Amino acid sequence: MSEVIVITSGKGGVGKTTTTANLGAGLAIAGKRVALIDVDTGLRNLDLLLGLENRIMYDLIDVTEGRQPYKKALVKHKKFSSLYLLPTSQVKDKSAVRPEQLIKLCEEMRPEFDYILIDCPAGIEQGFATAIAAADCAIVVTMPEISAVRDADKIIGELGRADKNNIKLIVNRIRPQMVEKGDMLDMEDINDLLSIECIGQVPDDELVIKATNDGKPVITMEKSMAGQAYRNIVRRIFGEQVPFMTFPKEGFFGRLKKAFGL
Amino acid sequence: MSEEIVKIKGSKSGLKLDFAQGADFASIERDIRGKLESGSGFFTRGTVIQVSPSALRKGDRDRLKKLFSQHGVLFRTTDPLQELKAREKKQAEKQKAVEKKHEEEVQQMVVVNRTLRGGQEIRTDSSVLICGNVNPGAQIIAGGSIDVRGTCRGVVHAGANGNTQAFIVADKLMPMQIRIANLIARAPDDAAPEESDNAERAMIRDGQIVIESIKR
Repeated sequence: MSEVIVITSGKGGVGKTTTTANLGAGLAIAGKRVALIDVDTGLRNLDLLLGLENRIMYDLIDVTEGRQPYKKALVKHKKFSSLYLLPTSQVKDKSAVRPEQLIKLCEEMRPEFDYILIDCPAGIEQGFATAIAAADCAIVVTMPEISAVRDADKIIGELGRADKNNIKLIVNRIRPQMVEKGDMLDMEDINDLLSIECIGQVPDDELVIKATNDGKPVITMEKSMAGQAYRNIVRRIFGEQVPFMTFPKEGFFGRLKKAFGL
Repeated sequence: MSEEIVKIKGSKSGLKLDFAQGADFASIERDIRGKLESGSGFFTRGTVIQVSPSALRKGDRDRLKKLFSQHGVLFRTTDPLQELKAREKKQAEKQKAVEKKHEEEVQQMVVVNRTLRGGQEIRTDSSVLICGNVNPGAQIIAGGSIDVRGTCRGVVHAGANGNTQAFIVADKLMPMQIRIANLIARAPDDAAPEESDNAERAMIRDGQIVIESIKR
């Protein structure tokens, strides 16, 4: 039974696309057949993160307009054989795809895939409405920052209005040292406000930026903290109970002090 | 004079005039004029005079009215008994309407069984019960009172139609703004609001919004 998951956030720049790419890769590594649909028409990025830009032949608009079958537009990932990307157009805008078209497409794709992940654009306008239309459940990505949390709250409300009540939360770009000092919202503050199930706490990791630029999802990097967090999220999607990572409490100087026995 | 042409009786709602059987209007008028001009103190200014509507013809009524008004006396052609009945009826109707309104108010209480998230709004003339939180960016504007069975962080306006008796109760009351009727209180700019273990109630006292802790 396939599952259509929309990855959304409201606010831009919190890591929707990064999350989509990493979860897609993680699910594919676990042997699942995964399709990623980029719905951020006009501002497509998902292909970059996966390093697939040069392989795009057709796009989502070609499919929804009926010019090409979806199978022709799918781009197979070069490393993970069960991961496919359906890129969107970079020249059209959000009005190019209507919700019912995406619903129809997903219904068509369901038999072929275990998971269909939809990368939602930022905002709450038409692109958002289109992206969530076909979803069985939603993953809301936020950051420990007041505006991102507020926007997540709004998005959860909007999802509820659209009768999408299976909503999970991923908190991205956590900086443990700042949380420790009380300079950043901690998980308790966020859970208190959003009160939905959290399936991921991803630390801010420089390797994510490097991975993005290299077109290789960070989940494949063994040593990356963020990669580990994403691997845990994939296991939680499968229903496993995985405890949340504990981040090293003290910063560099703290560790240095400890090393010298101070 | 064996029989008075005009008899005056006191009643609950003023003086009532009775006319002798078969008396013609000319003599009635003469008699009344005489009484008025004698200054007996019977008809003080502002006295209400009532006459049964069947006793006089319309033209005659108008002439009497004019005559009385010259002496500052109100003249009405009504039956006090009927009037009393009418008044009772009216009162009963009013009472009924009040009861009905009260009933409607109770029925009209808006119950929201979920968390109100940012950007969501409840706008109603009645009272509101929220079984959930009111998150920042959410808004409730109620004609009546507001009860939040959870944490209230949004903007809440009770008594929006001017009802200063309206109040706001929440398990955790830490809203951006509290508005009751035409008064506004806002959260302090500095520091986190102090947390109270008890539920709190905001209401108007001595012309300003006060918050007190309550048990429930």
